[in-house]
Amino acid sequence: MPGSIDYSLINVKPDPDTKEWWDATKEDRLLVRQCNDCSKKFFPPFPACPGCTSMSLGWYETEGKGMIYSYNVVVQPILAPFVPAVPYITAVIDLPDCTNEDGSITRIVGVLTDDEEAVAIGNPVEVVFEKSEDSEYVMPRWRVTGVAENAWKFTGEGGGPVGG
Amino acid sequence: MGALTDKYCIVGVGETPHMRPSNRTTLSMACEAVRNAMADSGLDPSEISGMTSYQYGDSCDSAAVASSLGIRLDYAVDIIGGGNSTETLVAHAIGLIEAGYCRNMVIFRSMNGRSGLRFGGQDPDGPVPVTNVSSISDMWDAWGFTTPAQHHGLTCMRYMRDYGLTSRHLGEVAVAHRRHANLNPKSIFYDRPLSMDDYLKGRWVSKPFRLFDCCLETDVAAAIIVAPREWAYNLKQPPVFIMGGTARTQTPDASYRWNREKIHYVGANYGRHRLFGMSGVTHDDIDFVSAYDAFTFTSLILLEGYGFAPEGEIGDFVEGGTLQIDGKLPSNLSGGHLSEGYTHGIAMVIENVRQLRHRTDDSCPGWREGKHTYDREKGCRQLKKAEIAACLAWGTETESSAMIIRR
Repeated sequence: MPGSIDYSLINVKPDPDTKEWWDATKEDRLLVRQCNDCSKKFFPPFPACPGCTSMSLGWYETEGKGMIYSYNVVVQPILAPFVPAVPYITAVIDLPDCTNEDGSITRIVGVLTDDEEAVAIGNPVEVVFEKSEDSEYVMPRWRVTGVAENAWKFTGEGGGPVGG
Repeated sequence: MGALTDKYCIVGVGETPHMRPSNRTTLSMACEAVRNAMADSGLDPSEISGMTSYQYGDSCDSAAVASSLGIRLDYAVDIIGGGNSTETLVAHAIGLIEAGYCRNMVIFRSMNGRSGLRFGGQDPDGPVPVTNVSSISDMWDAWGFTTPAQHHGLTCMRYMRDYGLTSRHLGEVAVAHRRHANLNPKSIFYDRPLSMDDYLKGRWVSKPFRLFDCCLETDVAAAIIVAPREWAYNLKQPPVFIMGGTARTQTPDASYRWNREKIHYVGANYGRHRLFGMSGVTHDDIDFVSAYDAFTFTSLILLEGYGFAPEGEIGDFVEGGTLQIDGKLPSNLSGGHLSEGYTHGIAMVIENVRQLRHRTDDSCPGWREGKHTYDREKGCRQLKKAEIAACLAWGTETESSAMIIRR
């Protein structure tokens, strides 16, 4: 497992665009934006709908299950809160329940709770809300829940199928 | 061809050394670079009419540089931006001179990129102590997803999965640009050769990127001067003509960054048609390129995006020394950001200008007069055939600028 993140060094003070999103994390809810006019779902929570320009926007609560679209293994830390966590995995995650009718997809970025061993492109993940006494808000993280049939992972000079 | 193809020229170039640290102000460094560019062109301060720069609030402004050097400007503006700005400001210069707002334009970038604002994300002394999270763009910081190495590494990892790109393909870029730096006395890595084995032994920064996939951070200023063709013929240097370009052109898919269906499509995939259409040339006409190398991968994805290889095939394209001097498509002949130093792109344009003049500042004693040995063992960096160059600039994943220039 990766080391822990030092939440005492992360100072979350949401602006009006992101306040409701962060507030929902306190109730273990993961939100994406949803347009009240055209129903498009999107993330991050921009103040206008990229589909129809509407500024009448609500939220959609995703079930928080997705697939790893791509990932990094961060070895050199840039931010002090993550110094004790290296090496840690950041991933871009496809959220299938946030795919739109026009085919446009919604992805979110997050830190996994797993180490490199469990990680592969394609693998299923689910959100976990990591509570900390040092943080008013709750960081959504992601846990690998299985191995996909078409999973692919980086092995040092390139990559290939998991176990292949 | 574009209506203004070949009507404007780059007539002067200049820079400071790459320093780590400079112990100087960005104003002082900018003055030196602009002064050197004026001297290179033969233009007197009284003849300079326009000045512009790009920065992230980490630098001085044009008005201060002009005042320092006794230049009275007809036009001055400073824009926000990084790696796609030089070519963008060349487009501004052409439009503004054409419209009569000024008669020529100095473009500069001055940055303490190692001792001041570091674009690798760290503070000058190491990791940023506190992570402040407020806006949408800060959300990634809360998740430790903050540095360009992670952003581009993510695209690279997916591209590897989709198209079979390998670390050795990335290493082709690192080795080629380092070889060029070894021929460039100005470069940080002048005395440090790099083999493919050396590259592969580099420590991990953020997988799939190793140490030598990532560019240097340096303190430096650099400047170029754009003027109408009529001026250029009367100045000190052989003119370098601007054939065409594309400026901060965005991706075909407007979706935000990694929400795009094809994550490896960058502004280049759209800008390529504008670039080659306006310039009136094809890929076969290009003798050499600069391809923005914040990372090895950014060079590759730009080359593919601008159409130098079919989709998914840039790895095969660069195999076997393609990008090296005397290879099929020499890239970043000064050593680039990976091995010369970090200037947010403007030094790559300067190198291309010097190559096109056939006056590359290498170890040949007669380089100022255009006398070169073409002997790489003796440190000659001048290409034999340097008629047309493509300057391919980065920026963010969503935007790209480029221009094609000729002698």
